[in-house]
Amino acid sequence: MSELSARFQELLGLLSTSPALAIVLTFGAFFAGNRIFRLLKQPVWLPPILISAMLVSGMIAVLTIDYADYREGAQWLTVLLGPATVALGVPLYQQMHHIRALWRPILFTLPVAATMAAVYAVVIAASLGASEEVLASLAPKSVTAPIAIGITEQLGGSVSLMMGGLLITGMLATLFVDLIARWLSITDQRILGFALGLNGHALGTARAFEIGPTAGAFASLGMGLTGVFTAMILPLVFHL
Amino acid sequence: MSMLYGFLVLTVFFIAGEVLRVLLALPVSGGVIGMILLTLLLMARGSISESLAGASQALISVLVLLIMPGVVGVFFVVDEFAGQWLAIGVALAAGTLLSVLTTLWLMQRFSGPEDGSHE
Repeated sequence: MSELSARFQELLGLLSTSPALAIVLTFGAFFAGNRIFRLLKQPVWLPPILISAMLVSGMIAVLTIDYADYREGAQWLTVLLGPATVALGVPLYQQMHHIRALWRPILFTLPVAATMAAVYAVVIAASLGASEEVLASLAPKSVTAPIAIGITEQLGGSVSLMMGGLLITGMLATLFVDLIARWLSITDQRILGFALGLNGHALGTARAFEIGPTAGAFASLGMGLTGVFTAMILPLVFHL
Repeated sequence: MSMLYGFLVLTVFFIAGEVLRVLLALPVSGGVIGMILLTLLLMARGSISESLAGASQALISVLVLLIMPGVVGVFFVVDEFAGQWLAIGVALAAGTLLSVLTTLWLMQRFSGPEDGSHE
């Protein structure tokens, strides 16, 4: 019996150093996460990525695999993030014609709102005594994940903490846009969509597509413009 | 086949972004520079090839898969940021509330009625 468990340990050691196990875990959790999300009737407060991430962390805890080992095995997935970030330029180009329909509010809103999305969080966290690393991880909280990863690495933050902040921001932005829009009686799909994409990145955009195709298009535009704007501005102003 | 061609184009733009980032010492990631280059090129051309559109859509649809290793890490940094979680939580909640309010207020203030007047 003890011999068998020794062999089992050896097997785990072997598997956890090869990328195959990390791939199976990630892909498996991806499909399972999506399925569970649909089974639960697509709750806003529990996006599929969070379900999948919990499944992966549960699995690597059960299999006693080091997070660092898992991360190294899954590295080749991370390599694809570069081209995937470039790919975001395609929907941005496809939604660009919407700017003509609403250029004035977009021109006045985007620079201020995208900057403030970062400033509010950083100032509040700093006044509560958060460290420099935490501030660098919170700054890109309204930016879509692939761009935000690049920003956090440039600023010297923790990618994992940033990802958590990103998820919470996306969920809260979806909730707050609904509440505040009702309070200010805003029903214009273009405004709702733009606010969802600007503040809530991919999660907000997913919600916007539920409201309607116009809201979805403006959310994609808001998300893309916020990503580009923040990526260019934040590294310049953060260290001031 | 054609999807692979689109993937090649995306990767070339990514490398171009990395080259510019390093040579010009830009503080922006290579992916973002490549994305801006691609958007500008598409706007200048006014059209997009089917292979590039297909490859982009395929990559974007699996973005969740690509960022998953990073998200999983959240559960392993709980101790690392001990004592700062209150600051993090308040900053996220209050910060997001304020920024949503700012966005909606600005958009409403500067946009006309839903139909007409924005031509």
